[in-house]
Amino acid sequence: MDILLGAIVSGLLLGAVFALVALGLNVIFGVMDIVNFAHGEFLMLGMYVGLFTSQFLGVDPLFGMAPALVFGFLLGVACYYGFVRYLLRGPALAQLLGTFGLMLLLRNLALMCFGPDERSVRSGLLVGVSFDLGMGMIVPATKLAAALLSVAAFVSVWLLMNRTKVGKALVATSLNAQGARYMGIPTDRMNALAWGVGGGSVCLAGALLVNFWSVSPGVGILFTMIAFTVVALGGFGSISGTFYAALVVGMITEIPGFTDFLAYTVGLRFIGDWPMTAFKFTFIYLAYFLIMLLRPQGLFGWKR
Amino acid sequence: MTRRPLLRLALVLAMILLPTLCLAAEKTIKIGVLFPLSGPAAGAGAELRAAAELAVEIANNGLPGVDIAMAKGGGVKSIGGAKLQLIFKDHEGNPTLGADLAKKLILDDKVNIVMGCYNSSVTKTVAAVCDQYGIPMVNDSSTSPSLTRQGYKWFWRTTPHDEQFTQDLYAFLKGLSEGKVKGVPPVKDIATLASACEKTEWGSSVSEQLNKFGAKNGYTLAKQLLYADKSADLSSEVRSLMAVKPDAMLFACYSSDAILMLNTLKSQKAAPKLIWGQNAGFEDPTFANTLGDTVVGVLTRTVFMPKVATVKKVAGQVNDVYKARTGKDMVGAASRAFTGMQAIVAILEMAGSDEPAAFQKAANAIDIPGADLVMPWEGIKFTTEGEDIGQNVKGMGLIGQYQKDASGKIGIEIVYPFNLATADMIYPFPGFK
Repeated sequence: MDILLGAIVSGLLLGAVFALVALGLNVIFGVMDIVNFAHGEFLMLGMYVGLFTSQFLGVDPLFGMAPALVFGFLLGVACYYGFVRYLLRGPALAQLLGTFGLMLLLRNLALMCFGPDERSVRSGLLVGVSFDLGMGMIVPATKLAAALLSVAAFVSVWLLMNRTKVGKALVATSLNAQGARYMGIPTDRMNALAWGVGGGSVCLAGALLVNFWSVSPGVGILFTMIAFTVVALGGFGSISGTFYAALVVGMITEIPGFTDFLAYTVGLRFIGDWPMTAFKFTFIYLAYFLIMLLRPQGLFGWKR
Repeated sequence: MTRRPLLRLALVLAMILLPTLCLAAEKTIKIGVLFPLSGPAAGAGAELRAAAELAVEIANNGLPGVDIAMAKGGGVKSIGGAKLQLIFKDHEGNPTLGADLAKKLILDDKVNIVMGCYNSSVTKTVAAVCDQYGIPMVNDSSTSPSLTRQGYKWFWRTTPHDEQFTQDLYAFLKGLSEGKVKGVPPVKDIATLASACEKTEWGSSVSEQLNKFGAKNGYTLAKQLLYADKSADLSSEVRSLMAVKPDAMLFACYSSDAILMLNTLKSQKAAPKLIWGQNAGFEDPTFANTLGDTVVGVLTRTVFMPKVATVKKVAGQVNDVYKARTGKDMVGAASRAFTGMQAIVAILEMAGSDEPAAFQKAANAIDIPGADLVMPWEGIKFTTEGEDIGQNVKGMGLIGQYQKDASGKIGIEIVYPFNLATADMIYPFPGFK
C-alpha cells in the first residue's frame, strides 16, 4: 500500500499546482476565445521572478509569490494592450499564430537575458524538509505549501469571477461581448482584466513551482501542454472543471507509481521492467490526444 | 602620374609581406578544446578549462617546485620551442553542436590537435569529425567504452573507461563482503541493487555495464532506470527506485541532476545502505559545496582526489598550484584534463613535428611513466590492437567516500583500492531521516 498511497499523495499535490497553472489559460479563453500559446512562457517568467526575488532580496522563496503575482498581472495587461488587442481585429488563425509568436519571443528573450542554464532554489525554510505521514506517504514541505497556496489562489479567483461585480462583468463579457457592451460594460477593459488575471495567476503558480522545479528558458512548453490537457479535460470555460481535471492530470504523471504498485505490491513483477518513468509526460500528451478524440468538450462540457 | 600607382603598389606589397615575415618567427601549436562550458555539466566544464589552461601555462613558461618533465617550460622543445595555444569552444552538451564546432576548429582555426569533450555523446561525434579530417584527437575525460571501439586511427584516450570502473565497483562490493574495507567488518546484507542513470551515451552504457558485471559477480539489479539529465523533477524516479527497497543505489549523473537526485532522495527520506555514483556529477566540487552535509557517506568512483597527494608528492604539488588559482582542489575532471594536456605535450616532444602523421606515430609508441603524472596510474601507453584501439591501459580508478574531517570540512577519502585507503569507511550510509 505504501507505494500506492505515496503515488496518490504526490499526484494530488502536483495536481493542485497544475490547477493554478491551467486557471489562467481558462480565464483568458473563457472571456476572449483566445488560446494563449504563450501561457507556459508566462509561467517560466513567473518562475524566474520568484527565484530572483529570493536570490537578490535574500528572502525565502515563498515570498516570491507577491512580486510574481504583480509582475504577471502587469505582463498580462501589457500583452493585451500592446499586442493582443490588435489581433482581435484579424481572423481566428491570426490570433492563434499571434500568441504562438509571443511564445517564441518570450522564450528567446529569456534565453538571451538569463542564459540556457537551469537554475533552482537551493535553500529556503522548507527546502529539504518533508513530513512522513506513515504508510509510505512522504510529503515534501515545498510541494505541500505550493499545493495549499495554489488551492487558496484558485478559490480566490473563483470568488472573484462568481461573487464580485467585476467578476460578473467578466462573465457577461465572456457570454456575449456585444450584449455586455450595450449594457455599459467596457469590453476592452474586461479583456485586459482577463489577461491580467490570467497572467497573474500563472506567474503566481510559477513562483510556487520554482520551490521544487528548476527553471530554464525552455521549461514553458511542458507546462503549456499540461495546461492545455487540463483545460481540455475539464472543459474550456469551466473553472471548477479545471480544478478536478488538474487533479486527474496530476495523477496521470504518477502512472509510474501505480505500475510500481502493481509490480511490487500486487506482485506482477514483469511490469517492474517497463520504462515507465521515462515516459511520464508522454502519458499526458496521450491523454490530451484521447480527450480530443473521444470527448472534445471535456468532462464538464463546453462553455457555460 | 606614373609614380603614384607605383608607390601604391609598393605600399600594398609591403603590407602583405610584412606580416608573413613576422609569422616566420615563432611557431605555435594550436589545440582546439571542446568542453561543456554551459548546460547540465557546466560545473565540470569550468574545472576542465582551468586545468587545461594551467597545464599549457606550465608547459610554455615552466614552474619551479613541480617535479614533472613539462614543468621545465619552454614550450615543445623538439619543435624549436613552439608554444602551445588553446582555443576553447563550448559544446553545451550537444553532440551536433560539438561536431560543428570541431569542423570550425579544424577548417577555420586550423588547429593541429583537438582535445575534449567530457560528455561521451559529444566525444563520439567529434571523434568522427577528427577521424574524417585526419586530425589527432586526445580524449581526456569521456568514459564510455564504445569510444575506443570505433576503429578510429586518430583517437587516443588517456582516461580508463567505464568497464574498468564498473569492475572496480564490484571488486569493492566483494571486498566489502569479505571484510577487506578499512574499518568495516564483513558485510553480508547487500543483495538488492538498483540503478538510475542519465540516458545519453555515457549513462546508458554505464547502465548496461552495471548489469553485465553485476551478473558476472552474482549481484542482480532489481531496477534500472534511465532518465533525461535535463529533468527538472526526479521525484517519480526516486520513488520508483525506492519501491524495490534496494540495499545499494547506484547512479550515473551529470552535475545538475546529481544535486537534484540527492535532494530528492533526501526529501523522500531514502535509506539505502550504500549510495555510489559513477563519478561525473558526484565528483564535481559544486556537488559537495551545494549539498553540504547531505553528501556525507556517499561513495563516488573517481580518478583523482587531493588525498592522492599522501601517496604521490607530484599530485600535491600540482594541486597546490591549482588550488591557489581557482580556490578549489583538483578532482577527477580537472586532473584528467591536466593529464590529457600533459600527454599531448609529451607526444609532441616525441614527434618532433607538428604534422599529424608524426603525432600519430608518436602517440602509438609513447610510454609515459607513472611517476611523471599526478594520477595514481602506472603510466600512459595506448593500445594499437585488440578490442580497444588508442586506449590507455595503464590507468586506474579509485573509489572515494565523502566524509567530514575533524574541522567540519567535507572532503573525499580513498576507500578503494583497499591498500590505498586513507580513512575508515562509513558504513552503512547514514540515511536521510
